[in-house]
Amino acid sequence: MTQTNRPGGGRGSLSIRILHGGEEPDPRFTLANERTFLAWIRTSLALLAGGVAVEAFMADLFNAQLRKTIAVLLLALALVIGGGSFFRWLNVERLMRHRAPLPVPLIAPLLATGGALVAAVMVVFVLVRAA
Amino acid sequence: MPTPSSSPKHGDAGLQPERTNLAWGRTTMSMVVAATVFLRWMPHRGWLVGPLVATAVGTALAISLTRRRRFHRAIRGIQQERMTPDIASIAAVATSAVILAALGIYTVLFLPLSP
Repeated sequence: MTQTNRPGGGRGSLSIRILHGGEEPDPRFTLANERTFLAWIRTSLALLAGGVAVEAFMADLFNAQLRKTIAVLLLALALVIGGGSFFRWLNVERLMRHRAPLPVPLIAPLLATGGALVAAVMVVFVLVRAA
Repeated sequence: MPTPSSSPKHGDAGLQPERTNLAWGRTTMSMVVAATVFLRWMPHRGWLVGPLVATAVGTALAISLTRRRRFHRAIRGIQQERMTPDIASIAAVATSAVILAALGIYTVLFLPLSP
Protein backbone atom coordinates (compact mmCIF):
# COMPACT_ATOMS: atom_id res chain seq x y z
CA MET A 1 0.00 0.00 0.00
CA THR A 2 1.45 3.38 -0.97
CA GLN A 3 1.62 6.06 1.70
CA THR A 4 0.88 9.57 0.47
CA ASN A 5 1.57 12.71 2.45
CA ARG A 6 -1.45 14.68 1.33
CA PRO A 7 -2.97 16.61 4.22
CA GLY A 8 -5.86 14.59 5.56
CA GLY A 9 -5.08 11.62 3.33
CA GLY A 10 -1.57 10.66 4.40
CA ARG A 11 -0.11 10.04 7.80
CA GLY A 12 2.39 12.27 9.53
CA SER A 13 5.04 10.97 11.91
CA LEU A 14 2.88 11.90 14.91
CA SER A 15 -0.10 9.82 13.82
CA ILE A 16 2.20 6.89 12.90
CA ARG A 17 3.62 7.02 16.43
CA ILE A 18 0.23 7.39 18.10
CA LEU A 19 -1.68 4.88 15.98
CA HIS A 20 0.92 2.08 16.09
CA GLY A 21 1.02 1.35 12.34
CA GLY A 22 -1.31 -1.15 10.70
CA GLU A 23 -3.50 -0.43 7.66
CA GLU A 24 -5.92 2.45 7.26
CA PRO A 25 -9.43 1.17 7.96
CA ASP A 26 -12.48 2.15 5.89
CA PRO A 27 -12.91 5.93 6.48
CA ARG A 28 -16.55 5.19 7.42
CA PHE A 29 -15.31 3.30 10.48
CA THR A 30 -12.99 6.16 11.40
CA LEU A 31 -15.94 8.57 11.23
CA ALA A 32 -18.20 6.20 13.21
CA ASN A 33 -15.55 5.96 15.93
CA GLU A 34 -15.31 9.76 15.99
CA ARG A 35 -19.11 10.06 16.44
CA THR A 36 -19.08 7.50 19.24
CA PHE A 37 -16.33 9.48 20.96
CA LEU A 38 -18.39 12.67 20.62
CA ALA A 39 -21.44 10.90 22.10
CA TRP A 40 -19.35 9.94 25.14
CA ILE A 41 -18.09 13.53 25.45
CA ARG A 42 -21.68 14.79 25.44
CA THR A 43 -22.48 12.24 28.16
CA SER A 44 -19.58 13.63 30.15
CA LEU A 45 -20.80 17.21 29.61
CA ALA A 46 -24.33 16.24 30.69
CA LEU A 47 -22.95 14.76 33.93
CA LEU A 48 -20.88 17.91 34.39
CA ALA A 49 -23.95 20.14 33.97
CA GLY A 50 -25.88 17.82 36.32
CA GLY A 51 -23.19 18.14 38.99
CA VAL A 52 -23.15 21.92 38.75
CA ALA A 53 -26.97 22.06 38.76
CA VAL A 54 -27.21 19.92 41.94
CA GLU A 55 -24.75 22.24 43.65
CA ALA A 56 -26.26 25.48 42.38
CA PHE A 57 -30.02 24.87 42.30
CA MET A 58 -30.78 22.53 45.21
CA ALA A 59 -29.77 24.73 48.11
CA ASP A 60 -33.31 24.66 49.62
CA LEU A 61 -33.72 20.91 49.13
CA PHE A 62 -30.50 19.25 50.25
CA ASN A 63 -28.10 20.17 53.02
CA ALA A 64 -24.66 21.47 52.07
CA GLN A 65 -22.79 18.24 52.77
CA LEU A 66 -25.11 16.07 50.65
CA ARG A 67 -25.14 18.60 47.83
CA LYS A 68 -21.35 18.63 47.84
CA THR A 69 -21.18 14.81 47.82
CA ILE A 70 -23.61 14.35 44.92
CA ALA A 71 -22.01 17.17 42.92
CA VAL A 72 -18.50 15.78 43.37
CA LEU A 73 -19.71 12.26 42.48
CA LEU A 74 -21.27 13.52 39.24
CA LEU A 75 -18.27 15.70 38.38
CA ALA A 76 -15.82 12.85 39.07
CA LEU A 77 -17.88 10.60 36.81
CA ALA A 78 -17.78 13.35 34.14
CA LEU A 79 -13.98 13.51 34.50
CA VAL A 80 -13.47 9.75 34.22
CA ILE A 81 -15.83 9.43 31.24
CA GLY A 82 -14.39 12.48 29.47
CA GLY A 83 -10.83 11.18 29.83
CA GLY A 84 -11.80 7.53 29.30
CA SER A 85 -13.61 8.34 26.06
CA PHE A 86 -10.34 9.50 24.50
CA PHE A 87 -8.50 6.29 25.40
CA ARG A 88 -11.45 4.22 24.22
CA TRP A 89 -11.39 6.10 20.90
CA LEU A 90 -7.61 5.62 20.55
CA ASN A 91 -7.83 1.93 21.43
CA VAL A 92 -10.57 1.35 18.82
CA GLU A 93 -8.54 3.25 16.16
CA ARG A 94 -5.47 1.10 16.86
CA LEU A 95 -7.40 -2.18 16.85
CA MET A 96 -9.26 -1.28 13.61
CA ARG A 97 -5.86 -0.80 11.94
CA HIS A 98 -4.90 -4.37 12.77
CA ARG A 99 -8.35 -5.78 12.03
CA ALA A 100 -8.53 -6.99 15.62
CA PRO A 101 -11.86 -7.54 17.39
CA LEU A 102 -13.07 -4.45 19.23
CA PRO A 103 -13.30 -4.52 23.02
CA VAL A 104 -16.47 -3.90 25.01
CA PRO A 105 -16.52 -0.35 26.38
CA LEU A 106 -15.26 -0.37 29.98
CA ILE A 107 -16.66 3.11 30.54
CA ALA A 108 -20.23 1.84 29.93
CA PRO A 109 -20.47 -0.24 33.16
CA LEU A 110 -18.65 2.62 34.90
CA LEU A 111 -21.34 5.06 33.80
CA ALA A 112 -24.10 2.64 34.81
CA THR A 113 -22.55 2.03 38.25
CA GLY A 114 -21.87 5.72 38.86
CA GLY A 115 -25.36 6.74 37.72
CA ALA A 116 -26.96 4.06 39.91
CA LEU A 117 -24.86 5.19 42.89
CA VAL A 118 -25.97 8.81 42.54
CA ALA A 119 -29.60 7.73 42.09
CA ALA A 120 -29.37 5.48 45.18
CA VAL A 121 -27.97 8.31 47.31
CA MET A 122 -30.86 10.55 46.23
CA VAL A 123 -33.54 7.85 46.79
CA VAL A 124 -32.23 7.14 50.30
CA PHE A 125 -32.18 10.85 51.04
CA VAL A 126 -35.75 11.39 49.79
CA LEU A 127 -37.00 8.40 51.84
CA VAL A 128 -35.19 9.56 54.99
CA ARG A 129 -36.52 13.07 54.50
CA ALA A 130 -40.09 11.93 53.94
CA ALA A 131 -40.07 9.88 57.16
CA MET B 1 -22.31 26.24 7.68
CA PRO B 2 -21.90 23.77 4.86
CA THR B 3 -24.89 23.78 2.54
CA PRO B 4 -25.74 20.94 0.14
CA SER B 5 -25.14 23.09 -2.95
CA SER B 6 -21.67 24.29 -1.88
CA SER B 7 -20.40 20.96 -0.58
CA PRO B 8 -18.28 18.59 -2.62
CA LYS B 9 -19.88 15.29 -3.64
CA HIS B 10 -19.13 11.98 -2.00
CA GLY B 11 -20.39 8.47 -2.63
CA ASP B 12 -21.41 7.46 0.88
CA ALA B 13 -25.06 6.41 1.04
CA GLY B 14 -24.73 6.21 4.83
CA LEU B 15 -24.20 10.01 4.90
CA GLN B 16 -21.37 9.58 7.40
CA PRO B 17 -19.73 13.00 6.79
CA GLU B 18 -23.08 14.72 7.48
CA ARG B 19 -23.81 12.67 10.58
CA THR B 20 -20.32 13.30 11.93
CA ASN B 21 -20.70 17.00 11.22
CA LEU B 22 -24.00 17.02 13.14
CA ALA B 23 -22.39 15.14 16.04
CA TRP B 24 -19.77 17.90 16.25
CA GLY B 25 -22.61 20.45 16.16
CA ARG B 26 -24.41 18.76 19.07
CA THR B 27 -21.16 18.68 21.01
CA THR B 28 -20.73 22.42 20.41
CA MET B 29 -24.21 23.02 21.80
CA SER B 30 -23.49 20.83 24.83
CA MET B 31 -20.41 22.97 25.52
CA VAL B 32 -22.53 26.13 25.33
CA VAL B 33 -25.12 24.59 27.70
CA ALA B 34 -22.31 23.68 30.12
CA ALA B 35 -21.03 27.26 29.93
CA THR B 36 -24.47 28.69 30.75
CA VAL B 37 -24.86 26.28 33.69
CA PHE B 38 -21.47 27.47 35.00
CA LEU B 39 -22.77 31.03 34.79
CA ARG B 40 -25.30 29.99 37.45
CA TRP B 41 -22.38 29.64 39.86
CA MET B 42 -21.26 33.22 39.36
CA PRO B 43 -23.61 34.90 41.89
CA HIS B 44 -22.39 32.46 44.58
CA ARG B 45 -18.74 31.99 43.68
CA GLY B 46 -17.88 35.25 41.96
CA TRP B 47 -15.59 35.73 38.99
CA LEU B 48 -13.44 32.79 40.04
CA VAL B 49 -15.65 30.55 37.88
CA GLY B 50 -14.52 32.63 34.87
CA PRO B 51 -11.97 29.98 33.73
CA LEU B 52 -14.78 27.38 33.59
CA VAL B 53 -16.99 29.54 31.39
CA ALA B 54 -13.99 30.58 29.26
CA THR B 55 -12.88 26.96 28.70
CA ALA B 56 -16.37 25.83 27.65
CA VAL B 57 -17.04 28.84 25.40
CA GLY B 58 -13.52 28.69 23.94
CA THR B 59 -13.92 25.01 23.06
CA ALA B 60 -17.36 25.61 21.52
CA LEU B 61 -15.92 28.46 19.44
CA ALA B 62 -12.89 26.43 18.34
CA ILE B 63 -15.11 23.51 17.27
CA SER B 64 -17.48 25.69 15.26
CA LEU B 65 -14.63 27.58 13.57
CA THR B 66 -13.01 24.33 12.39
CA ARG B 67 -16.22 22.45 11.58
CA ARG B 68 -16.21 23.17 7.88
CA ARG B 69 -12.61 22.03 7.55
CA ARG B 70 -13.43 18.74 9.32
CA PHE B 71 -16.53 18.22 7.16
CA HIS B 72 -14.59 18.63 3.91
CA ARG B 73 -11.82 16.43 5.27
CA ALA B 74 -14.36 13.66 5.94
CA ILE B 75 -15.78 14.00 2.41
CA ARG B 76 -12.24 13.80 0.95
CA GLY B 77 -11.61 10.75 3.11
CA ILE B 78 -14.70 8.99 1.73
CA GLN B 79 -13.74 9.98 -1.86
CA GLN B 80 -10.18 8.69 -1.50
CA GLU B 81 -11.21 5.64 0.56
CA ARG B 82 -8.55 6.51 3.13
CA MET B 83 -8.44 8.92 5.99
CA THR B 84 -6.26 9.64 9.00
CA PRO B 85 -8.31 10.16 12.13
CA ASP B 86 -8.42 13.71 13.49
CA ILE B 87 -6.30 13.05 16.59
CA ALA B 88 -5.69 16.73 17.37
CA SER B 89 -9.40 17.72 17.46
CA ILE B 90 -10.37 14.67 19.50
CA ALA B 91 -7.52 15.09 21.99
CA ALA B 92 -8.40 18.79 22.37
CA VAL B 93 -12.10 18.14 23.07
CA ALA B 94 -11.33 15.33 25.56
CA THR B 95 -8.76 17.54 27.32
CA SER B 96 -11.30 20.34 27.53
CA ALA B 97 -13.92 18.01 29.11
CA VAL B 98 -11.36 16.76 31.66
CA ILE B 99 -10.26 20.33 32.52
CA LEU B 100 -13.91 21.41 32.96
CA ALA B 101 -14.64 18.48 35.29
CA ALA B 102 -11.45 19.05 37.30
CA LEU B 103 -12.14 22.79 37.66
CA GLY B 104 -15.72 21.93 38.64
CA ILE B 105 -14.54 19.58 41.41
CA TYR B 106 -12.08 22.23 42.58
CA THR B 107 -14.87 24.82 42.66
CA VAL B 108 -17.22 22.59 44.70
CA LEU B 109 -14.57 21.53 47.19
CA PHE B 110 -12.34 24.57 47.61
CA LEU B 111 -13.87 27.80 46.33
CA PRO B 112 -15.64 29.67 49.11
CA LEU B 113 -19.32 30.56 48.78
CA SER B 114 -19.84 34.30 48.81
CA PRO B 115 -22.69 35.47 51.04
